[in-house]
Amino acid sequence: MAMRNATQQVVRALEPSLTRSLHASPGSKKIVGVFYKGGEYAGQNPNFVGCVENALGIRSWLESQGHQYIVTDDKDGPNCELEKHIADAHVLITTPFHPAYVSADRIRRGKNLELLLTAGIGSDHIELPAAAAAGLTVAEVTGSNTVSVAEDQLMRILVLMRNFLPGHHQAISGEWDLAGIAHRAYDLEGKTVGTVGAGRIGKLLLQRLKPFGCNLLYHDRLRVDAALEEELGAAFEEDLDAMLPKCDVVVLNMPLTEKTKGMFNKEKIAKMKKGVIIVNNARGAIMDTQAVADACKSGHIAGYGGDVWYPQPAPKEHPWRYMPNNAMTPHISGTTIDGQLRYAAGVKDMLERYFKGQDFPEPNYIVKEGKLASQYK
Amino acid sequence: MHVLITTPFHPAYVTAERIKKAKNLELLLTAGIGSDHIDLPAAAAAGLTVAEVTGSNTVSVAEDELMRILILLRNFLPGYQQVVKGEWNVAGIAHRAYDLEGKTVGTVGAGRIGRLLLQRLKPFNCNLLYHDRLQINPELEKEIGAKFEEDLDAMLPKCDVIVINTPLTEKTRGMFNKEKIAKMKKGVIIVNNARGAIMDTQAVADACSSGHIAGYGGDVWFPQPAPKDHPWRYMPNHAMTPHISGTTIDAQLRYAAGVKDMLDRYFKGEDFPAENYIVKEGELASQYK
Repeated sequence: MAMRNATQQVVRALEPSLTRSLHASPGSKKIVGVFYKGGEYAGQNPNFVGCVENALGIRSWLESQGHQYIVTDDKDGPNCELEKHIADAHVLITTPFHPAYVSADRIRRGKNLELLLTAGIGSDHIELPAAAAAGLTVAEVTGSNTVSVAEDQLMRILVLMRNFLPGHHQAISGEWDLAGIAHRAYDLEGKTVGTVGAGRIGKLLLQRLKPFGCNLLYHDRLRVDAALEEELGAAFEEDLDAMLPKCDVVVLNMPLTEKTKGMFNKEKIAKMKKGVIIVNNARGAIMDTQAVADACKSGHIAGYGGDVWYPQPAPKEHPWRYMPNNAMTPHISGTTIDGQLRYAAGVKDMLERYFKGQDFPEPNYIVKEGKLASQYK
Repeated sequence: MHVLITTPFHPAYVTAERIKKAKNLELLLTAGIGSDHIDLPAAAAAGLTVAEVTGSNTVSVAEDELMRILILLRNFLPGYQQVVKGEWNVAGIAHRAYDLEGKTVGTVGAGRIGRLLLQRLKPFNCNLLYHDRLQINPELEKEIGAKFEEDLDAMLPKCDVIVINTPLTEKTRGMFNKEKIAKMKKGVIIVNNARGAIMDTQAVADACSSGHIAGYGGDVWFPQPAPKDHPWRYMPNHAMTPHISGTTIDAQLRYAAGVKDMLDRYFKGEDFPAENYIVKEGELASQYK
């Protein structure tokens, strides 16, 4: 009896929030999307759906149902286009490649907000506890980028290990100096590669690494099941600090959370082998920015590559642009044309379910009914 | 001199003229793989032995080919250029960046390197095709998951990616000319770590400029070293480097050990491993006939 009363009290306290999150209120919705601008490239490829101009390819679908769809790339500062529409938006679609930072303050001012959708994967640009407290649903298109990112990581491992970029620079500069490249170029075969995190992307990376004949290690909160571990040919490393010094290559494959923010600082990097290669397509803020730049300069890190920075877009003077032996790009690995088509389809599917009051695929939820997904707890 | 050791990465062109002048010459060793920088018929006629360190670079080159496929398909280089120039324009890269998954990849030649490449491609879930003089045995073919294409001209239009894995011989010199390239899909990606002279230099540059080739990458040129004004340095959408794929530290250690082993056997009058011979007792190895 006491339990039931206690439960009823909790439910009554949560009621306004629960009502806000579970079902779309009827009628036409205001949907706001923040994506990167396509510019001169927008019209060149009809499959280039990830840009503002092509708006995930769902404009006519939304508007024919009577919904309002506002799309912009202008997301920063108090006078930006996004700010103008926060007050009455029902749904906000954001994307990690050009992330709109959805702060507690913005959430507070979004009085009609019900749903935050991430077109892609990684919702750390949203203040998740604030979203949970406000009764919002947060979901992403789980699985939409996994293959893309795994391919991209393997590419960067090879680019750094094989010392490709100095060679390319020579080619375009009219030069030819083999020694300048070959003295520090290695095969991947036989090297020890450790992935920090063996979730979806980490596992796909290990699968792609297998035929290269490396020594594969992985660290994760959870151990992969025995049959899959054997198939992947990777050894579980329970203690991260014990794994790091063994690795010629370290790949980051965990989400950015309170626990992982700044985790790879000067001390952590010092535990790695001198001459280590690091690939990070996870989140820039997992690393200590200056510690990475210093270690590249000293040579403790022989090569650092990835497509993630903090903040994004990376400012012109971000040190990772200018440190030696980097293989950085803007945030692109999950937004190939193939990736865009997948996450656009996933967003459309979730909007459809939202309009009908249906649940999303379970793995997509980041915040549901006031609770954070396990990787963010 | 009795023995001349050369290397494809900085090739000494051993012409008929040079062979004629070298009265004591007995043995030509290639520190690496590929002996097309030697006039092989002239070497055979002069009774020289020519040998290379077969197998010394196979893994190196296969890894390097896969790297260049990814670099071109995923449009990596424009992204890197943006970074070092202080820019940030995701659209400038993403509008023509693709995953490798699901694409059709064809290797022209499925010898040692071609097979190692196909093995490394397997987990990427591509549609894998190969063309060769010889079909791979059915068991290995099934394990690799690649389909045999007897007719090269029938294979070319199917491919999103083409990788060249044949030696440079009289038959293959200039083989990929304007007509051959035109048979490929518009937007094809080509990776060539085999030999530059297999391609028609200007035809490749023109097709990159027109966009018929969406990306061309490799570490081989003709001649080498490539002159400052070689068109492949300046054509759009390339992923070229000097000739480095088979001369990583790991490969150098392998081919150095292989040269030492053959010198040891030569001093003792012993045969080399059979697969190392390129010219033996006046006969050319089969791939050069």
